[in-house]
Amino acid sequence: MHELSMADAIIKTVIDAAEKNNAIEVLEVTIEIGELTLLNPEQIKFILEVLSEDTILEGAKFDIEIIPAKIECSCGYEGGVASDDGLDHYNPIISCPSCGKGDFKIIDGRECNIKNIKIEKEE
Amino acid sequence: MHKIAEVEVQNDILIANKKLAKRNQRILDRAGVFAIDFLGAVGSGKTTLIEKLIERMDYSIGVIAGDIISKFDAERVKRYNIPVVGLNTGKECHLDAHLVEHGLEDLPLDKIDLLFIENVGNLICPVDFDLGSHMRIVIISATEGDDTVQKHPLIFKEADLVIINKVDLANAVGADINKMVEDVSSINPHVKVIKTSLKNDEGIEDVIEAILEAM
Repeated sequence: MHELSMADAIIKTVIDAAEKNNAIEVLEVTIEIGELTLLNPEQIKFILEVLSEDTILEGAKFDIEIIPAKIECSCGYEGGVASDDGLDHYNPIISCPSCGKGDFKIIDGRECNIKNIKIEKEE
Repeated sequence: MHKIAEVEVQNDILIANKKLAKRNQRILDRAGVFAIDFLGAVGSGKTTLIEKLIERMDYSIGVIAGDIISKFDAERVKRYNIPVVGLNTGKECHLDAHLVEHGLEDLPLDKIDLLFIENVGNLICPVDFDLGSHMRIVIISATEGDDTVQKHPLIFKEADLVIINKVDLANAVGADINKMVEDVSSINPHVKVIKTSLKNDEGIEDVIEAILEAM
């Protein structure tokens, strides 16, 4: 359960970016979370809303975009992997969809990126 | 007048941790220190493994013992009269590169060859956080059940060595050790798997050999 520290780091980063751009208010925050991180987007969102209180982010809308997993396998396959278990954030892939083996590198799916923010600022 | 503006941020929190981890590794490399991150669940045998290695390895060893709020693990290692830093993560379930950076500041790195970093007992959260170590050893035990590998695949994907401990208790708890080994190999075909019973000093020499190979 490291959603709290991640959310805290997200809030600090957003406040920093907002202040640098002379924002009066942060309206929206778009965050990309990789499917293979062990982060639960719903928990992150909830904690972000709690931590936003009494900050420039209070009331901001948090959009979380899930980045699908992508692997590069020793068999030559490069691409996505099927999520087969219906779990919302934890996708325990252990095999390549092409050769069925586990000898692959993870290319995408481990992000926790603050993509952009929408702010209101003085003209 | 107010206006609405969209600002690109593109700041990845996990990449920020990775950058700090790389910096830690540069600090370690400059000091000639080989660092190992020990990961495993509560009660898998991390501290026992570290104690056995300290007793048997002829190197100057330092330890960073991560724990949520206690110093029990750090105290256990202190009796060997080696440099030990206890890191409390507070409410956090894992060590991160920033905490380890502070740990490194409190260690006499120029007098150490080997640094053992004991992560918080957890098979999930530490996966996302590189510390800057040169080797990741994951230790699990038969008593956690023989489905524990399948339930936590990512930590095994990232491991450089996997130890299955308490194999002497496998029958008592009905755990199939061969299944555990096969599960690890299917997730990470290149990783070495060593079976141990640390209480009985079984397999410890194989672990030392694997560490020496990695150094």
